[in-house]
Amino acid sequence: MCYNDANKVNNYMKQYIRKADIILFIVLVVTGLAVSAALTFSHGAAGTGSEVIIESGGDLYATYPLSEDRTVVVPSPKQRASDAPAADHSDEPFAQYDHYNVVVISGGSVSVTEASCKNQVCVKHSAISRSGESIVCLPNRLVVRIDSGSEEGGGYDSVTS
Amino acid sequence: MTQSPRKSSRRSISASFIARAGLMAALALIFSYIEAIIPYNPGIPGIKLGIANVVTVVALYKFGAKDAVAVSVIRVVLAGLLFNGLFGMLYALAGAAVSLTGMILLKKTGLFSVTGVSMAAGVLHNMGQLLVAAALIEDLRIFFYFPVLMFSGIAAGILVGIASALVLRSLR
Repeated sequence: MCYNDANKVNNYMKQYIRKADIILFIVLVVTGLAVSAALTFSHGAAGTGSEVIIESGGDLYATYPLSEDRTVVVPSPKQRASDAPAADHSDEPFAQYDHYNVVVISGGSVSVTEASCKNQVCVKHSAISRSGESIVCLPNRLVVRIDSGSEEGGGYDSVTS
Repeated sequence: MTQSPRKSSRRSISASFIARAGLMAALALIFSYIEAIIPYNPGIPGIKLGIANVVTVVALYKFGAKDAVAVSVIRVVLAGLLFNGLFGMLYALAGAAVSLTGMILLKKTGLFSVTGVSMAAGVLHNMGQLLVAAALIEDLRIFFYFPVLMFSGIAAGILVGIASALVLRSLR
């Protein structure tokens, strides 16, 4: 009788869960964790198509591929409004500007190395490398952010419904 | 000569099969509709409970693979035309094909319970959709969604599996 009951309970449980289920569950969870870990560590390589977007005074100033190293001097909107030489995308000396930020793209990450402002928040900000991250300089109204690049970036949402 | 194929096809698709499949497809479609009108948005695309799959799982265990395939395909095509649009229908068909194949094979091994089979189906469904999305977009960065879809597939599959096991128990 006692054995019968135990057997019944055992069979009852077997409808819902078995040893193979648990093994499969663990395998799936481990795979998922492994892939997410791999993606986290390989973000540099995976983000090669990403773009660095520089906005100044609320307008798009320039975009550059994250994969190419370069140094950009961005004059603040105030600077550009007052005569000042035209915005340059080159490495020219920037002593000519009073209000500016220096954005450096190097080895797949972006940082602001120099700024004319007092608080230097953007300079102290650690380098950014992932899509969605940004560095902001309020005094010069500068936003540097990384986007996943090509127009599909925002399109995923609409396709994988 | 011409009669033998007709005979065999008549034997394979009986009136009771059509009635049964139609009934279950209608039920699954209602589940799809209910899910489509529930205003919940997890914020990440591709995450869905998929209550309609309870019907597919029950059909597989109660009546066999053919019923499950019929119910699933009819439901996906109709739900695609009614709610999700043609593009969504293609994704859903890919997911359904992969997950049905997996379910039928796993059930044949006899090692897994309803919950386990359904869990695998949930994961396979999401993986099938991801592969189609990757092929269409031609961008491997979409595999960033892999872990998200994996875990949501596991969770949704287990819930659907438990619901199916309960339904199967009361149908017995």
